[in-house]
Amino acid sequence: MEIIAFVNNKGGVGKTTCSKLMAEYLSKTKKLRTLCIDFDPQCNFSHQYLDMEIDPAAPEGLIPPIHPDYNPHDPDDIDWDGRSSIAEIFYGQGVIPYPTYVEKLDIAPGHAEKLLTAESVRRSEVVDKVHKQLSNFLNHPDVQAEYDAVVIDTAPSKGPLTISVIKAATHIIIPSVMEEQPVQGIYGMLQLWMQESLVREKTRPLHLIGILPNMFKQTRLHKDILRSLQDNPAMGKYILPVKFSQRIVFAEVDAADSTPRSIFDFPEQHVAKSEAEEVCSYIAERIFA
Amino acid sequence: MSKKKRFGISEALTRGLSETINVVENNSGLYRNVILPLSRIELDPDNPRKLAIDLSDIRHGLRPDDPRFQQKQDELERLKELAHTIKTNGIINPIVVYKNGEFYRIVAGERRCLGSILAGKQEIEARVFNDKPKGFDLKLIQWVENTAREDLTLDERLGNVKEIITEYQHQHGSVEVTATLLKNITGLSLSQSTYYLTALNAPEDVRIHIQNGNIRNLDKAVLISNVGTPEVRSQAIEACINGSSLKELRTLITQQKSLSRMKRSLSSNTRGRVAAKVNLGVTPKPEVIKIIIDSVTNLKQFDKYSNVFSQVNWMDLRQVTKAFRKLIEILETETVYDRD
Repeated sequence: MEIIAFVNNKGGVGKTTCSKLMAEYLSKTKKLRTLCIDFDPQCNFSHQYLDMEIDPAAPEGLIPPIHPDYNPHDPDDIDWDGRSSIAEIFYGQGVIPYPTYVEKLDIAPGHAEKLLTAESVRRSEVVDKVHKQLSNFLNHPDVQAEYDAVVIDTAPSKGPLTISVIKAATHIIIPSVMEEQPVQGIYGMLQLWMQESLVREKTRPLHLIGILPNMFKQTRLHKDILRSLQDNPAMGKYILPVKFSQRIVFAEVDAADSTPRSIFDFPEQHVAKSEAEEVCSYIAERIFA
Repeated sequence: MSKKKRFGISEALTRGLSETINVVENNSGLYRNVILPLSRIELDPDNPRKLAIDLSDIRHGLRPDDPRFQQKQDELERLKELAHTIKTNGIINPIVVYKNGEFYRIVAGERRCLGSILAGKQEIEARVFNDKPKGFDLKLIQWVENTAREDLTLDERLGNVKEIITEYQHQHGSVEVTATLLKNITGLSLSQSTYYLTALNAPEDVRIHIQNGNIRNLDKAVLISNVGTPEVRSQAIEACINGSSLKELRTLITQQKSLSRMKRSLSSNTRGRVAAKVNLGVTPKPEVIKIIIDSVTNLKQFDKYSNVFSQVNWMDLRQVTKAFRKLIEILETETVYDRD
């Protein structure tokens, strides 16, 4: 089971869009049993596949909807409120992924309040209570047996939630807009990659697939910054040879009532679809080859 | 037309990105820094450092019936000083350990560890090797850590080098360890490597005195080891024990050497052509000639010649040479007459 995470502590660089495209490519095109995990308290990734709800009692944000398998009359479900998020791993509860409209694609949604609470754990407890939990969950034999791939969307931070993702991942990809501030975000993520790499056993290294230029525009700014990263002797080989261009259609499919709902359902010759396939197949090739 | 603006990422950021990538590429999976409970740490019984005091002495106190009580008492006092600084400032460098079963065995940082226990700490910052370092690497790390220490005796340092060589030969087959090879392994200078090798191969008597702590200085040990004649060597050892400086030792040895050389050359059979003349040699010191000339002219037999040398400028080497030739001439003439 490969665990792929999109990370960048700068917000708005397209982590969620990339996660979504990758998850759909793996499940729809590669026919891999794929689990999406939303580790961002904003829960945008979850909202792509589930009708996330706003709980008046939880003013912090979104909560997952009632699970389709939940039956209040079933004695097995008596201790369950019918909702399950990935944040349950911090509370010793089981996680019950939700099916999505895509075959072979499940999601363990976020839970704004619970994720925020986990992130605010006291410093001295954070290692045991947060850092290791996701890795423990994903290493569980049941989870390993159920899925071929896991795609994790992360919060725009370098905090405990992102660190636990880095600790659990087998591969990370850093999407970035080719502008100064998002590139600074790359630095933050490389630092986490470095800290984790020094700690990891050599037998299961954390692979940095690379930096994925996202929302790319054919402007001098984007072209020059991409070029300067590519020309850097240390960094050049980590700049992916594929990129996502700035296209409104990537945002349009995110809208709740869009048809089709996935880029991969567009006609074969659609420019956005072929671009998505090019990027995702490149990444999949690197990971699964 | 003005030049088009070019964009790029800032220099500081470029440097940061490159440096981070290089660190990962060169070091991944090597070690990690963690906080370890002191209760899980054990000392390395093979560490070349010969500290008498051990963990149980620190944890349960010294026993008065311990045969090494006095030494341990002294060590404890020094450790208490360290403990005091640890209490106020903590330790600056993490200790180095590797996992050994349930425990973490110390590669470097014995004193820091004992000091921390004395300071009442429960945990210590450590750098953990993911794999047990290979014998040779382990010795090398201990060596590198130990060379930075000043309170290590010469015997302990030599023991260190010896173990490095043994481990190296263990790993690479029994190659001859030359100074150049030792230099490449340890990063010492070539002359230091030569010194260590010389001291390691020191004659028996020198080695014994190094072990007893009578010879504590590497330079002195090397100087004495290089003395071939056992009598001169034992004189030098004695002088060293009595606190002679390196310079004094060097002078002593040079004197003794030239004395014994003279004896040897006078008595031994000469090889080559039969000498027909005596070579009077050269000296950079004109005073020597003055002494010779003065002594000769003080003899009653030669005092008539003293005025010959009264005008000589004794600082001028040419004049002194001329004067000496003159003296030889006079002596040759006088002795020829005498014989006749």
